[in-house]
Amino acid sequence: MLKPFKLFYMAVWRNFLTLTRYKANFFFSILTSALFGLGSLIFALALDASLLERTVGSTNYVAFFIFGVCFQSWQGTALWGASSMFQNELGSGQIDYTFSCPFSRYWYIVSNIAASALQDTIFFVPMFSVGLSLTQSTVTPLGVALGLAATAVSVASLAQLGAIFGALTLRYRQVTAIFGFFNFAFQLLTGMFVPFQLLPMPLRIIGYGLPMTFGMDLLRHYVMGTNPILPVGFEWALLFTQLMILAVIAKLTVLYLERVAKEQGLHYI
Amino acid sequence: MAESVLCDRILKVYNGRGKKVQALDGVSLAVREGEFFGLLGPNGAGKTTLVRILATLLKTTEGYAEVGGYDVDKQENEVRNIIGYAGQDSERSAYFRLTVNENLLYFAHTLRDVPLKTARERIEEIASAVGFADRLDRHFITLSGGEKQLVIVMRAILHNPKVCFLDEPSKSLDPVTARQVRDFLKEYARENGMTLVLTTHNMIEAEEVCDRIAFINHGRLRFLGTTKEFKRRVTVKEVIEIGMNKLNSNVESSLRELPGVSDLAYRPNARLYCDDAFDILPEVIDIMRHSSVKASVRMVEPSLEDAFALFVNGEKVMVNA
Repeated sequence: MLKPFKLFYMAVWRNFLTLTRYKANFFFSILTSALFGLGSLIFALALDASLLERTVGSTNYVAFFIFGVCFQSWQGTALWGASSMFQNELGSGQIDYTFSCPFSRYWYIVSNIAASALQDTIFFVPMFSVGLSLTQSTVTPLGVALGLAATAVSVASLAQLGAIFGALTLRYRQVTAIFGFFNFAFQLLTGMFVPFQLLPMPLRIIGYGLPMTFGMDLLRHYVMGTNPILPVGFEWALLFTQLMILAVIAKLTVLYLERVAKEQGLHYI
Repeated sequence: MAESVLCDRILKVYNGRGKKVQALDGVSLAVREGEFFGLLGPNGAGKTTLVRILATLLKTTEGYAEVGGYDVDKQENEVRNIIGYAGQDSERSAYFRLTVNENLLYFAHTLRDVPLKTARERIEEIASAVGFADRLDRHFITLSGGEKQLVIVMRAILHNPKVCFLDEPSKSLDPVTARQVRDFLKEYARENGMTLVLTTHNMIEAEEVCDRIAFINHGRLRFLGTTKEFKRRVTVKEVIEIGMNKLNSNVESSLRELPGVSDLAYRPNARLYCDDAFDILPEVIDIMRHSSVKASVRMVEPSLEDAFALFVNGEKVMVNA
């Protein structure tokens, strides 16, 4: 069995080479990221700062919004990266070669998501920097480190969901709509654009189960000084618990769906 | 000699949209270690399904298969460790914006665990042997279909597998490159003791390369043996070739009515299959003379392609396993 770390760093190497070969696309990806950051400044004008202060203890809606949008870039990669990779491999026929090789499918998927997430850091950084520049009064190096650590754990949990989506692609090939549904639900239910505390109780109950909710909340708490949804220690514990549970489910799902896909043949799906 | 591949009564049924399709029906065969083995049969015969089962990409519905002594269903990773695989229509199955060298390096080192240094050496060695060394730095997307296919074949053997499955490897190769690849594979396999299982429609390939062949039709094994045996078992004794790729219908029907003639086909010249070519040759010439058809007429040995075509076309000629 191959080492997960090698799968990861070779995937980074391959992705980086491919990325640099599509220069226009690379340039516009960075441009889009910057534009998103600037666009959020305009969007923030329409928001009620006093309501935000009463809810999360900060009037800095722009930063609140930007740190939510930052998560969106991670979320897209984590949820969609593996599905997209498998769709490409199914389309080109590469999946047959890939699946005739001796490695853990689970680690292959997770390593590739991690490689894509690392690649997206390039686009995340400008947006995150805009957010930091707006939180100079509250930001500390330790706060940034802890906020990013919470983000990393949260993204790792999302990657497990990504592995499930990736495996679903093996079975159903086209899972765009499923991804779109969850992506939209995640945006609504995790407090990305609207404070989580303002959501109705039934939606909040679902939101507690989503890995982004606490990652995003902890990032804002450490960087912006917002009031956390739950006690900080409890949120960390829940983040790690979610990661472990999702990892087990993802691993079993990948195993199961590969078995199912093999009934009909990967290329026929 | 030990068995490298073993299939025992393999049955494969696809369930799609409420319809069951039986792709394989009780196929049993054994491939010896170091053997060049060809799977022949018309489109949809079940060849690719069998290769996919052996390459751990597909599960059997019933039956047992092993590669290198490992059960393909229960010991998948052990099987994957010792096999190489190049699928059918897989000429797009690499990273378009990476060079040939980068692609091969990625697949060999990442997915096959070949050390970087060894991978680099093997890429050079194999590329030189198949005349590809000058194109290693080209982006995969810029290669022709045949060149891409060649890269895929190179990828299949980079890690020096014990058993290699190639599904129609020369499909999009030009005749010169196809021959070069065949010669290389044959030499490489002999030197490294690699067992090669390939599916093909290319009769020249099967005849030149394969030690033995299996003929599959409608999911069933119909023949297992050497190409010579295959041809010998075809009950057509002789063939008369007429140097025209189309005869008029009157000539055609007159020829078909001659005693002992079993069929007339164009491959691409007209070929008349009969029991005794010498006996009917004067009559063939007479028919042509009366119809003012001027073309060369000669008696030829039935080729493997004749046997294949006759066997597939309604199985007029029986070739038994």
